[in-house]
Amino acid sequence: MIRHLLRLAWNRKRANLLIALEILLSLIVLAGVATLAVFYVDNYRRPIGFEVEHIWTIAIEMHADRANSSITVQTGQGDPAAPQTPVDRGYREQRALIAQLLLALRDMPEVEAAAAAFITPYSGNTWNSDIEIKGKTYRYGGNEATDDFARVMGIEVLRGRWFDREDDGAAWSPVVVNDRLAREIFPDKDPIGEFIDEQRPAGQQGPRMRVVGVIREFRKDGEYASPENFLFTRSRLDDPSLEAQPPRELVVRVRPGTTAAFEEKAVGRLRAAAPDWTFQTEQLAQSRETAHRLWLAPLAAAGIVSGFLLVMVAMGLTGVLWLHVTQRTREIGLRRAKGATVADIRRQLVGEVAVLTAIACLAGAAIIAQLPLLEVFPAVRPAVYGVSLAISFACIFALTLTCAWMPARVASSVEPAEALRYE
Amino acid sequence: MMLRNHLTLAWRVLWRRPFFTATSLFGISFTLVVLMVAVALLDHIFAPMAPEVRQDRTLGIFRARFVGEHSLWNSAAGYRMLDRYARNLPGVERLGIVSVPAEVHSYTSGRRIESFLRRADADYWRILDFDFLEGGPFTDQDVAGGSAVAVISAATRERFFGNASAMGRTITADGQSFRVIGVVSNVPATRPVASGDIFVPLTTAKTDAYRQELLGDFFGLLLARSSSEFPAIKAELESRLKSVEMPDREYDRFEAPAETYFESVAGQQFGTKEDVRGHPERLWAAMALVGCLFLLLPTVNLVNLNVSRIMERASEIGVRKSFGASSWTLVGQFVVENVCLTLVGGMIGFALSGAVLYAISAAEIIPYAQLRLNLRVFLYGFGLSVLFGLISGVYPAWRMSRLHPVAALRGAAR
Repeated sequence: MIRHLLRLAWNRKRANLLIALEILLSLIVLAGVATLAVFYVDNYRRPIGFEVEHIWTIAIEMHADRANSSITVQTGQGDPAAPQTPVDRGYREQRALIAQLLLALRDMPEVEAAAAAFITPYSGNTWNSDIEIKGKTYRYGGNEATDDFARVMGIEVLRGRWFDREDDGAAWSPVVVNDRLAREIFPDKDPIGEFIDEQRPAGQQGPRMRVVGVIREFRKDGEYASPENFLFTRSRLDDPSLEAQPPRELVVRVRPGTTAAFEEKAVGRLRAAAPDWTFQTEQLAQSRETAHRLWLAPLAAAGIVSGFLLVMVAMGLTGVLWLHVTQRTREIGLRRAKGATVADIRRQLVGEVAVLTAIACLAGAAIIAQLPLLEVFPAVRPAVYGVSLAISFACIFALTLTCAWMPARVASSVEPAEALRYE
Repeated sequence: MMLRNHLTLAWRVLWRRPFFTATSLFGISFTLVVLMVAVALLDHIFAPMAPEVRQDRTLGIFRARFVGEHSLWNSAAGYRMLDRYARNLPGVERLGIVSVPAEVHSYTSGRRIESFLRRADADYWRILDFDFLEGGPFTDQDVAGGSAVAVISAATRERFFGNASAMGRTITADGQSFRVIGVVSNVPATRPVASGDIFVPLTTAKTDAYRQELLGDFFGLLLARSSSEFPAIKAELESRLKSVEMPDREYDRFEAPAETYFESVAGQQFGTKEDVRGHPERLWAAMALVGCLFLLLPTVNLVNLNVSRIMERASEIGVRKSFGASSWTLVGQFVVENVCLTLVGGMIGFALSGAVLYAISAAEIIPYAQLRLNLRVFLYGFGLSVLFGLISGVYPAWRMSRLHPVAALRGAAR
């Protein structure tokens, strides 16, 4: 049966090639949208590692130096915490002032806890780095945070502990990593107490990094972003060194029931303590909503455009198959006269389209398989491609078989005598 | 005469099978809607429009950076860089300085108002031609003296004062108070140098730190005498920047190119550490490539439909061939027919894009953007329709012209 269908398809190869090409292109469009959607769903069901409700973020603009978040700094190698320019711009004074701001916030009755960090969730700020261990490079997203950060953000510590006063006198730089990075570096060893930067990049100063805790997760870009390795270093506002940059983001956990009026009051206090600085407050839930809109907009736009594309393809394909069928009236009449049933004819015509679709799907799968093989989008796991390809196959077969159904009905309803009259 | 026959025939053929015509027109008009909406958006970002009416002879300094062997420090230009190196360039009439918009919050009667605040000098108002609904811009004296005055947008006026006049009233933004001296029409958020809600003299900054910065958050606007001065201005600025002192041994050069906004976007996309320029032709090529990839599926769809319809008309072609019509005549006829079809689809698409753009504007997806079809977009759309018609007509026409007359007459086309 299939051999026969293949031969029939081959006999009209020129017209069929164009149809198969159209199906192939539709499949690629579908697979693109499906991959994005599956990627989002896959990420969404994993934990983000922090809480969102009852948390406010406050971004500080100090109007004093330029190494702030609007600037991307790439150093050729290594340590993100190293200052980008060695000029002392009064970092120590800035850190002292931030410590005062945190005190002022904690003083408010609505505030449960307050902390400072370099990067807050959903801010879009990024700090990427890598470490080399035994010839292998591990990439991670970094952040630097104070001792209260885990409490404010509700970060779950799986093993060890978050930073605390115990780290003050240590001869090493304490770090907290997420479970993912811990498993990657130490697949079969307890990471607590291990040093992780044995291969120091040239020119890097400061003490070595030692793991004090493992957290479940910290996905700073939120639910739709793919999970990545993450590493926290400790931010000390009373650090005696001149070169440690101050954190420029504050996070505050407020008591449930705190109203929006808290914002004006809090900003008033901060401005009184630091009149030269600018503060931007936002509820984390609000930032999340904004971020989600940015994540979903491309999917919505692609979905709408490809939806229309598929309607266009469906209409076009129906028309083309219809014309092909009418051109084959004689052939169909002959078959009917030789005893083929209406169902036989329908099965043959729909079968031909199914064969074309199958060929297009094979070609499409071969093309799309290049993406994971060549790691074009390293964030997307191969399984995501697999699922989206399966969804696309189902959709494309549903589409083409629906398109073939109408013309096949029309063709099979032709009376043999009527059809043969054309000969 | 020939063309008229073609057109009459095209018209007849279109009505012969309404389902096919409708299918083709749907595909064509939808395709052109997507392309025209994209073109209208790009036009809205890059093309000159009020208040940037002198864009044809304005260059901007939109980015600045320190470059070293291992390091790259990207930012906008700082005030010191503009003040010290970009003033009095030959061929330049004025230098305007304006900060990138910063989000500021104001609290009035328990409500929070978010605005984008820009700090500017007085020449900014002379280079751009804002539409003042009330009052006027701040002056050189205001800037020199650091007066706490502000020009606000119509939307800001409404947020703070409802529909009442704002002149002379006080607004507070980021803890600073300003007296309103002018109100301008809203500018879409997509316009990089003119958008904003509150404009204040740059000297009202909370600290003087900005005066020392080579990298900072300012744009420079260079109003040239004419666009023919552009190359000389670019070269002079580049050579002046060679004398900039590096802040640190890590860096060995400072770059802050004078460029059009399109060139700056190309630079952000395609510029490298070695070459700050982005070569705008690459941005053009990238946009054309995306457009072509999008066109691929609609084209194949239309080609398929066209091929099928031609085979249906095999007997007509057979007759014409046996009466001596050359292949070229037939190809011409068919391509004309198809271009007609795409033009009809183009017109429908044009009307639909107007509706889609209206909906996008009404939904305020881009704040204050009033997306409209203009002559430029129409011409792009017309060009795209013709191009689409040619591409999708050529292969079917070639197939048609190769039909053997006898086979065609028998209607046995494969």
